[in-house]
Amino acid sequence: MISLRHVSKWYGTFQVLNDCSTEVARGEVVVVCGPSGSGKSTLIKCVNGLEPFQKGEISVDGVSVGDPKTNLPKLRARIGMVFQNFELFPHMTVTKNLTLGQVKVLGRSMEEATQKGLKLLERVGLSAHKDKYPGQLSGGQQQRVAIARALSMDPIAMLFDEPTSALDPEMINEVLDVMVELAKEGMTMMVVTHEMGFARKVAHRVIFMDGGAIVEDAKKEDFFGTPRSERAQLFLSKILQH
Amino acid sequence: MFEGYDFEVIERSLGYLFRDGMVFTLTLTGLAMTGGIIFGTLLAMMRLSSFRPLSALAGGYVNLMRSLPLVLVIFWFFFLVPYIGAWVIGADRPIAVGAFWSAVITFTMFEAAYYCEIMRAGIQSIARGQVWSGYALGLNYWQTMGQIVLPQAFRNMTPVLLTQTIILFQDTSLVYVISATDFLGAASKVANRDYRLVEMYTFVALVYFIMSYSLSLLVRRLQDRIAVIR
Repeated sequence: MISLRHVSKWYGTFQVLNDCSTEVARGEVVVVCGPSGSGKSTLIKCVNGLEPFQKGEISVDGVSVGDPKTNLPKLRARIGMVFQNFELFPHMTVTKNLTLGQVKVLGRSMEEATQKGLKLLERVGLSAHKDKYPGQLSGGQQQRVAIARALSMDPIAMLFDEPTSALDPEMINEVLDVMVELAKEGMTMMVVTHEMGFARKVAHRVIFMDGGAIVEDAKKEDFFGTPRSERAQLFLSKILQH
Repeated sequence: MFEGYDFEVIERSLGYLFRDGMVFTLTLTGLAMTGGIIFGTLLAMMRLSSFRPLSALAGGYVNLMRSLPLVLVIFWFFFLVPYIGAWVIGADRPIAVGAFWSAVITFTMFEAAYYCEIMRAGIQSIARGQVWSGYALGLNYWQTMGQIVLPQAFRNMTPVLLTQTIILFQDTSLVYVISATDFLGAASKVANRDYRLVEMYTFVALVYFIMSYSLSLLVRRLQDRIAVIR
């Protein structure tokens, strides 16, 4: 479904991604972790072309992301993305947030889009807030709306860029629950996160990044059992202590 | 103290002052504001474009306009526009544009440079993530701008845009150099005809002050009301 081959990226002379290669199969949940500044967020933003990359190749469902001939908006419409800071549109109501993409990009009627949006809102347990503005919701609620918004486009895969890092601790679980449910339904997911509990519960594979490179790409059992790289062992020992 | 002054001249010329003069001033302000904001927003988008020639062109235009005195630009356009118009439509004689439309074009072009800088700041104040979020939904550049970035930028910048418009409202009085009859122009004509300079100019100053000041009070009230909840 998602395939990265020898992807490298530079900001000027500074190399942020160094020869990254991996695959995410249909229905697979892959967690990407690593210390901050290791390039995980950049990597996931390359997958739907939000960040350009200079070398290598990324393809999603057979469509090349880096090819200038690719219709990027069309491709992005098929990939859901959830951001660290939610990025709901603050000047629109929750319902409008949920229908915008459906109407403008997929060409659905307002009625159909609203129906679909409200159904997803119910699924994330926020029907009561449909007429509110994002600023009136808590962080956890906003992130759940953001997930519903991404799902409203009927994506073939979902990308999560540190979806819980900006949340207060008591709100992390409400977001993770939605993600766990999604994973169990067989959604193809690439998740940048530090939530190792989530990784243990639903991930099929774990990718560990450091210094812009993929240091470890292992099955969950192997990763949490005995990571091969010293760097990953150190990282795990640090974050699993707590 | 007021001996020798005749303030009734104001009352006698009120109709002319407002029906001719103020209507001209307000129409010019309104048209130049609308045109200036639209053109200025396009300029701002050009300036922020990653396509170098486009941003350089817009940058050059803005810097040129902001480096020239307004009076000069008014003159320049007044004499130039008829020739440009003739050249565009292929006429062999300069076309008669008239002081009003010449002024509208001048102020639109001139104010666009200032509105551009305001809108540029407004667009830049919208977090990068909002753009990403729009793109991630599959929206293209124009949809992302039109649905997400510009509405927020406008809302954030409304007070500054209106403040600039108050300045524009005052600056329109400069059309006296091309003999257009705006509010000040009308008053000036009456003043010279009846030799009531002190009375008329005092009155004009008062009107400009009241209008500008109440507008700026309104802007301040607006500022609190339109802020987007975050």
